[in-house]
This record gives sequence, C-alpha cells and structure tokens, in this order.
Amino acid sequence: MTSPLTSPAPVIGVPQRPMTRSTRNAVLGGVCAGLAVRLGVREQVVRIIVSLSVLFFGAGLLIYMGAWVWVPRWGEDRSVAQRLVGSRRESHIILLAFLGALVALLALGDFAKHWSGVASWPLLLGVVAVVAVWFGSSRDERNHLQDVVNATPILGASSARGWRALAWRFVPGIVLLVIGLETLRQLGGVWGGAFHAVVGAGALALGAAILLAPWWLDSVRDLSRERRERVRVEERAKLVAHVHDSVLQTLTLIEKAAHSPTDVVRLARAQERELRHWLFAPEHAQSRDDSHDSFAQQLRGIESDVESAYGVTVELVIVGDCPGDTRIAALTAATREAAINAAKWSQVSHLSIYGEVEPTSVSVFVRDTGVGFDLDHVAEDRHGITQSIVGRVSAHGGRADVRSIPGQGTEVRMSMSRSGVSV
Amino acid sequence: MTQPRVFLVDDHELIRSGIRTEISRDVDIIGEADEVEAAIELILERLPDVVLLDVHMPHGGGLAVLCAVGERAPSVRFLALSVSDAAADVISVVRAGARGYVTKNILGPDLVDAIYRVHDGDVVFSPRLAGFVLDAFSLSSSGPAPSGIDPDLDQLTPRERQVLRLIARGYIYRDIARELDISTKTVESHVSSVLRKLQLSTRHQLSNWASERRLV
Repeated sequence: MTSPLTSPAPVIGVPQRPMTRSTRNAVLGGVCAGLAVRLGVREQVVRIIVSLSVLFFGAGLLIYMGAWVWVPRWGEDRSVAQRLVGSRRESHIILLAFLGALVALLALGDFAKHWSGVASWPLLLGVVAVVAVWFGSSRDERNHLQDVVNATPILGASSARGWRALAWRFVPGIVLLVIGLETLRQLGGVWGGAFHAVVGAGALALGAAILLAPWWLDSVRDLSRERRERVRVEERAKLVAHVHDSVLQTLTLIEKAAHSPTDVVRLARAQERELRHWLFAPEHAQSRDDSHDSFAQQLRGIESDVESAYGVTVELVIVGDCPGDTRIAALTAATREAAINAAKWSQVSHLSIYGEVEPTSVSVFVRDTGVGFDLDHVAEDRHGITQSIVGRVSAHGGRADVRSIPGQGTEVRMSMSRSGVSV
Repeated sequence: MTQPRVFLVDDHELIRSGIRTEISRDVDIIGEADEVEAAIELILERLPDVVLLDVHMPHGGGLAVLCAVGERAPSVRFLALSVSDAAADVISVVRAGARGYVTKNILGPDLVDAIYRVHDGDVVFSPRLAGFVLDAFSLSSSGPAPSGIDPDLDQLTPRERQVLRLIARGYIYRDIARELDISTKTVESHVSSVLRKLQLSTRHQLSNWASERRLV
C-alpha cells in the first residue's frame, strides 16, 4: 500500500487507527486534528472540547501537551519523547526546564496560587512540555512551529530578529502586566472599584495608539520597502556576478579559438543559450536533475547538446509542455538521434526542431534543408539510424516516419499518444 | 525597383553597425536612433517605409516607439528585432502593431528578405513567433468567450493552425504552399489573418497568457 502525501482528513463516523498528529490541518502540534481523525469526528468539535477542558483545572492543557509529546507526528516513526530519551543533552535541558519552572512557581508562591489557581501545576508541566517539544521535534515540525511563532502577535516579529530582542520586550512587558493586575486587584478587584480606572487607562492607550499609528505604520512600511529593495539588489548582484563570470570565461575561450570560426560560433551559441535560460527561464536553468525533466526541458537539453557537439544552429520551438515519463523519454531519445543524424549528414548548419504537446498527443518534427537522401537507396549506416528512430517510437505505441527528398532536405515526424489518455 | 527606406532603432551601437553592414547594400538606411525619444521624433520627421525596432530598450522599449508612432504615422511599418525569448514581450509588440518579429541572429539575406516583405505589406513570422502564437491561442481557446466580441477573432482556423505549425517546423512560405498544395499568396493571407486576430483579439488570456504559462 502506498501512503498518501498528506496526512488523512477525518472521515465522520469512521475511527482510524493508529492515532498520529496531523500535518494537514495543524494549528500547533496537530493534536486536535489528529484526534479528530482517530475518533472520526469533526475537528472543530475536538478543538472546542479541548479548549473547554482547559478550564477544568488545566486538564485540557495537560492532555494536549501529553499527546504532543507522546504521539508521533504523521509520517514520522518516533514521538517527541522517544527522540528526547535517545539524546542525553536534550534530556538534561528538559530536566533543567522542569527545575527552573518549579523554582519559579515556588518563589512566586501565594501569588501564583491566587493568580492562576489550581491550574499552576498543569501550567508548570505545560511549560516543560513546550520546552520538550521545542527540543525534541523533527526539523520539519520545527519549521512549522517557527511559522506559528512568527505569526503570533506578540512573539511574531521579534522572534525573527532573535531571542535577545524578544527577551528585552517580553520580560519587562510581562512584569508590568503582572504589576498592573496585582495593583488593580488590591484596589478592589478588576471588576470592582478599579473598573473605571481600567476603562480610563484603556481609552488613554487607545488614543495614544491612534495618534501614533501613522508614524508607526510609516516606519513599518519603510522597513518592508527597504527589505524589498535589498532583496532586489542582492538578486541583481547574483545575476550580474554569474553573467560576468561566465561571459568572461567564454570571451577568453573565444580569444583562444579565434583561428577557428566553428569553435567561435559554438562557444558564442553556448553562452547565448545559457544567458537566455538565465534571463528568461531561471527555473529551468537551475534544474540539473534529468530524470524529472519535462518534455520541454528535455528538448532544450537536446538543443544545447547537439549545438555544442556538432557546431550547428538548432532552431527549437516548443508549444505547450508536459511532465516526462517513459513514452516522452522514448520520444526525446528518438528526437536526439534524428537531430544528430541531421547535424551529421545534411551538410547544412541549421536545423529545426518543433515540439508540440496537445491534449491527447505529443509530436516532434526534426527538419533540415540539406542534401536529403533517397529513401530507397540509402547507405547501410544511415538506413540503420533511420530504422532505430522509427523503432524506438513505435515500440512505445507512437508513429514515426522519415521524409526525404534529395537536394531539398529531410524531415523526421514523430508522434506519441500521451500516457493515461485514451485516444 | 526602389530600395525601401529603413530606419534603425537599437540602443546598442555594436548591433546597429552590424545590421548596417549586413543590409546597407540592399536597402536605403535613412537614419538610426539609440533611444526612444529620439527615435519617435526622427521617425515622424523622416517617415521611413520600415523601422527595424529593438524590443528591449530603456524608457519603454520598442513598445513605446510603436505606440507613439503608430497613431500619428500609420504608414510606417515596423519589424521587431530582438534577442528576447520572453514570449510576453514579443506578443505585446506584435499586438501593438509590429508586422513581424525576427531574432537578431537572423542571417543578413534573410533579414533583407524580411524587410522587403514587411515593406510589401506582408507579415514576417519567425518559427519562434509562430510557436508563441500557437501557444497563446491554444490556451485561450479553452474557456468561454466573453460576450460582445466576434468569437472568430479568438480562434485560429484549422488551416491557420496548419500554416503556423509548418512555420514553427522551419518551413518557408514556398515550402508551406507546396506542402499544403495552395499558392504562396494564400499562405500569406493566412498569416496576415493570424496577425489580425492576434492584434484584435481582446481576450485577456492572450495578454496574460505568458504569465499563466509559467505556472503550468
């Protein structure tokens, strides 16, 4: 059985085993989404129940963090806990986090009790679990978490700039919040005498924010514009560096090859092609993995190979594109033979390759306007090549024929129905 | 037969001098310009028969020249000359009124031939342009036609498609005529009709097609 690329969606009423943490619709650890799949219920239902259960002395928090640590993520074979147990350094960090949180809780003493009530113990364990998750998660999951952190209002922007900046803002902010809450409580409770004070303070803060907003937005906008500029400049610098480097090398080679016109043309063509790909189809220039090349990419490869090997000009025109498979591979292999054949025998320095992808079929035409040959009276070696082109294509259910008129040129026409399409 | 009066627009001196040496024996070069503003002014002043126009230039490129001159001097014909592989640029120049598109590595005699053709009111389609156009129309033919537009403008006839395919395969007009058993004049009229469709079709797909194509 092959596994799907993304973790499964819940099928209502059908529980699925085993439980995994979802990667498809994960807010934090994918626990709720995973639980929904396991139980066969809607994700929202699980989310609401878990959120509500947090109110019961933090039970929901414990369940959530417990599942995060013990249940493996979808597509991974080990859970966070298993990963941590395997590493001595990481388990020490968890122990330290636990002790640190414990000391903090005891030091805050009473305060913690009336502030967060009975929930302080689950909270402590929750903090430890968060640390555990951070250190024990796989790289993939860490990326996901980093995204979550970046999208969080308070943690967001600063985490991108480093933890030091976050601490500078976070620690004073939390301390002030706690002091504020504490003062209000002593004034007679948030909803008691302090209510007016809160409303007043809120209005004041809001007013100030509205007044300062334009200035703040401007500075944010400036920053992002600056960032965009910088990216653009960097991109251009990269391009210029590449262009300069390869063009300079080619120029040197051309100087050395000045006595041989064929070599000069070949070098210039190769450089031109490379630059074109860089400027107009950067995504193609960067792919070097032949096995996943699309039809168009394979033809471009043939263009450059034939041009540099035989010093001819190939006029390549492609209409449409499709992913490569075994039939496309057979078609392009035959195209390569036909092009090499034309380059070797036609006695002209120019040949055309036209590839077209249609809804049901793919065709390639290789044409030269050279000497041509009489199909009935060909030299044995040429005949063999022609046979092998036709053979390759028809072995995969395609059609190929060669038309040649002595003195007027040769054209090889090949077409192949596309895989998975019935003609 | 009098030589056509040709005006050269290209921001690279090297390219201009190269083109000059290749075509100066067969055509009458009446001026050249290396930037958009000067080109517009001089073309309007001298009214050449054919303008050889570089697609890529600073300050708006060939498109700016085409738009500025096209309205005020409709008799001037343009042949776009470019090293560009960017389909969107080429299509937009042709839509703006250029009568053809050739790449700069075209050989001297072929370029002269193309200039004469444009001068005679014909259209010059290079294989690459034919490929771009086939691509554009094959994409735009999917999806419903917007109302109020002649639906014929949005589709190529099977014959036009055949002609374009043959151009893309490297056939010259004479070969196409022989292959399809029609006259060279008929081939020319098919190509002109394709050009007209390309320029008049208002399907947004045609203009946006190049960007869509990258996503495919």
